[in-house]
Amino acid sequence: MAELPLVVVNVQRGGSSTGLPAKTEQADLMQALFGRNGECPVVVIAASSPSDCFDFAFEASRIALEHMTPVILLTDGYLGNGSEPWCIPEMADLPEIKPPFVKKSDEPYIPYKRDDKRLTWFWAIAGTPGMEHRIGGLEKTIKGTVSYVPENHEYMVKIREEKVARVVEKVPDLKVYGKDSADLLVVGWGGVYGHLITAVRELQSEGYKVSLANFNYIKPLPQNVREVFGKFRKIIVCEINLGQFASYLRMNFQEFTYHQLNKIQGIPFTVKEIKDNCIKLLEGK
Amino acid sequence: MTDTQLIQYSPKDFKSDQEVRWCPGCGDHAILSSVQKALSELGIPKEKFTFVSGIGCSSRFPYYMNTYGFHGIHGRASAIASGVKIANPDLSVWQITGDGDALAIGGNHFIHTVRRNIDINIILFNNEIYALTKGQYSPTSTKGLVTKTSPFGTLEEPFSVGELVIGAKGKFFARTFDTNVALSTRIYIEAAKHKGTSVIEVLQNCVIFNNGIHDIVTDKEVRDDRTIILKHGEPMIFGKDNRSGLILDGLKLKVVSIGENDITEKDLLVHDAQESNPGIHYMLANMRYPEYPVALGIIRAVPWPTCETAVETQIKDIQKDSEIKNMDALLNSGSVWEVE
Repeated sequence: MAELPLVVVNVQRGGSSTGLPAKTEQADLMQALFGRNGECPVVVIAASSPSDCFDFAFEASRIALEHMTPVILLTDGYLGNGSEPWCIPEMADLPEIKPPFVKKSDEPYIPYKRDDKRLTWFWAIAGTPGMEHRIGGLEKTIKGTVSYVPENHEYMVKIREEKVARVVEKVPDLKVYGKDSADLLVVGWGGVYGHLITAVRELQSEGYKVSLANFNYIKPLPQNVREVFGKFRKIIVCEINLGQFASYLRMNFQEFTYHQLNKIQGIPFTVKEIKDNCIKLLEGK
Repeated sequence: MTDTQLIQYSPKDFKSDQEVRWCPGCGDHAILSSVQKALSELGIPKEKFTFVSGIGCSSRFPYYMNTYGFHGIHGRASAIASGVKIANPDLSVWQITGDGDALAIGGNHFIHTVRRNIDINIILFNNEIYALTKGQYSPTSTKGLVTKTSPFGTLEEPFSVGELVIGAKGKFFARTFDTNVALSTRIYIEAAKHKGTSVIEVLQNCVIFNNGIHDIVTDKEVRDDRTIILKHGEPMIFGKDNRSGLILDGLKLKVVSIGENDITEKDLLVHDAQESNPGIHYMLANMRYPEYPVALGIIRAVPWPTCETAVETQIKDIQKDSEIKNMDALLNSGSVWEVE
């Protein structure tokens, strides 16, 4: 396995196949998470507004380079075609990205020897004297020798999964807009944020006990999700697909009941349909 | 070691510590030796070599080279090698591929790499069969060949590698066969020196699934009469006793015997590998036994600008006149305003 940094930006549109060109949908989530052969974990993050597309593209690059892993950044047709005022950052203010380049050493270079903390291998760029090595798509031992040894494959699969899991070190906690404990938690991910926050603010001003949590980090998930979800009476997951994120949450946090609001029309939610569904749920209808 | 003049290598410096897993008797072993020999004679520091491959028997090759190597995905070695070369123009980039990997699964990548003329050296092991997957017919299998996927014989016209390279605007095409180490080594060295995409077709024997497929021209007993080794600037002469040659007869090549019908060596075509018009090269690359001898050696080597040089030049030219010098300037270009 190459374990090289790679950023894939998927501006999701209505599918399947050529589907609805330039129309919006969030239906590639499961593809991003699992759409490869074999056990092949990658980091999946999602931008939630036109202006934070820049920050998440930078974050995708940081994770890819510092953790030596592919990162899939999900946006969608609505964000891709959207615009809003954006405060242009100064490059000097952005944090430095530090890839795990191999340091000069008298020891022989071992390609899949890993960093204790992040489990990344140490990157030797072609052209560096004394570090000649071979990588590629066949399973290998730590020394880079092709290996079909059953125990080695299991070990390597687990270590690659753990490497991606450890990206969580800098993943911020899931933020709740509104009270930490209430009757209903509206959950979304990525580009549905704009309509959800508007709907939730209106519901709050109308006296409903509703909060919002919108996910940007999907794999790995923030560390406080269970803690956040546990303080709400009901949870509704809103996404413009058939319920892929709801399924993913069920897989990861089985103790909660997830209601769903889904729309697959190539257009975003309207604030009204979000509000109507929340009120119906709150009133137990 | 920084002074390239001082670098002295032997072929064994390019052998990795990996166990070579090809079948005993496979032509790949001889190709590996030839490449290791050629590299040791180039005077390029070892760390500057990168070998990229796809999938197949041949594509195991990078593991056996003590250089940088990338065993990629099926058919995509050209795409990977192109990126390596454009991002690192100072590396000597080699692509190892087979007839299936390069011409079926990777056919599209292959023709566009050749068209772009990126300075990579592509060694195409042509055994006319899918060997790693145990004997299915490939895009170069002879029409009618009975294989596991063509139990009654293939119905398809095979690709000719040289024809495809020239059709894709290729500037360097050579042909050799696996066990001719001397000729192969010489070709690999010339390919390395040629700036642009070099394609070398190696007639390679698969001892298990297509054994002896090239024997009709490469067998020791017959090869002198059934192949012609082309040399730039020299007359097209061949045969055990050097009595046969090639002339242009109307619009076709013709085999003639020196001394018959008043033909002398002076009547023969003189090979010009650097001629940009591909007409004669095309005919030479397509010669097949028994009508013709099979052409070996460097058939086409036309000096031409490379893609990575053009990329570098364009970037420098644009940067020189652009007011945008860095990322901050780029983000602040166009319609921006300040919120007071």
